[in-house]
Amino acid sequence: MSDDLDRLRRLRPDRLQPHDPMDPKVLMDEKERLMSAIEQSAASVHAATRMPSIYPRLAYRDVLRALDFLTRAFGLRERREARLEHPDGVLAWLEIGDGVVMIGQSGAAHHELYSPAELGRTTGMVMVSVHDIDAHHGRAVAAGARVVMPLEDMFWGDRRYEALDLDGHRWHFSERLADIERRRGKSAE
Amino acid sequence: MEPGSDADIIERSLGEPAAFASLYDRHAAVLYRFLVRRIGPSAADGLLGDTFRIAFERRASFDRGHESARPWLYGIATRVLAHHRRAEARRMRAAAVLVASREAPIDPAQRAAASHDARELWPLVADAISALPVGERDALLLHVWEDLAYDEIARALGVPIGTVRSRINRARRRLRELTAQSGQQAATRSAAGRGKIES
Repeated sequence: MSDDLDRLRRLRPDRLQPHDPMDPKVLMDEKERLMSAIEQSAASVHAATRMPSIYPRLAYRDVLRALDFLTRAFGLRERREARLEHPDGVLAWLEIGDGVVMIGQSGAAHHELYSPAELGRTTGMVMVSVHDIDAHHGRAVAAGARVVMPLEDMFWGDRRYEALDLDGHRWHFSERLADIERRRGKSAE
Repeated sequence: MEPGSDADIIERSLGEPAAFASLYDRHAAVLYRFLVRRIGPSAADGLLGDTFRIAFERRASFDRGHESARPWLYGIATRVLAHHRRAEARRMRAAAVLVASREAPIDPAQRAAASHDARELWPLVADAISALPVGERDALLLHVWEDLAYDEIARALGVPIGTVRSRINRARRRLRELTAQSGQQAATRSAAGRGKIES
């Protein structure tokens, strides 16, 4: 019954026609190429997950809700592969441009970091440079961010506004006036 | 340090990419022979590298419930080969011509049978294999030339084991038909082939 399979086995090309003993150089050369490809891809993964030398950690009463708001209203992107989900709280990293903020649970058990909503005041402000400040402002307002400084051209050459997030952290968003003019010039052409 | 199973190596390579080298050391020679059989030595070099680079990129999707990565690697190599079907068909034909022209084995007891296989059967079978539908050819050759079991072929090709069984059965039926059909023309064709080589 398996005659035909046996015949086919005998007909394997290298049984009929044995190759010279395999050249170990082929295997070594291909290994060298593989390892350098692996090294390169490891380097690029590392670059994508590298953190800036300095970045802040902000405390929220509900981290996942904050995460949703910050991405929706302020256009931050989560580094999803960095997220840590502990039973006692989520840690997440958000980026915009080349900047990063880390967000975590507020409270005594969490480095004694508190949300402005718990303290009744805030002690810092996050400064963010964005592309197309007018669109950014429109999106933040539509998502329910509380604007506490209106969108204005400032004498130092920025167009900026300030807004509070759900927990009352204060965010300062700006774009260089020169960049805005250059962009408008381009679109007018 | 003892590296453990393939699954262990792949697991470790997720955090420590250079660990993937041990997987290459274990399986590269076998995969290389497979590629040489299917496509010839010159093209096999590059495809060996492609196979392992793809394996590295997809290593997170390897089912670490299996100890051996060999069927998975065969599957990747088979898909890499799929882009070189024409080269594979040329390889089959070239092998047929070469084999037909070759000296018989040194052992005289085997000479008669081997040279019969080589001269008469291989050209027919090579044509028949080339004419098989891709899925059937892949399953059949993994079984008879690479000695993979049906469940390993199923893992390699990502199809249910019943599909492997039916593909191989169909391939065998087709091979029998094809070799029988072209059997009549065999005498004239192989005579013509030998004539060309000897001239």
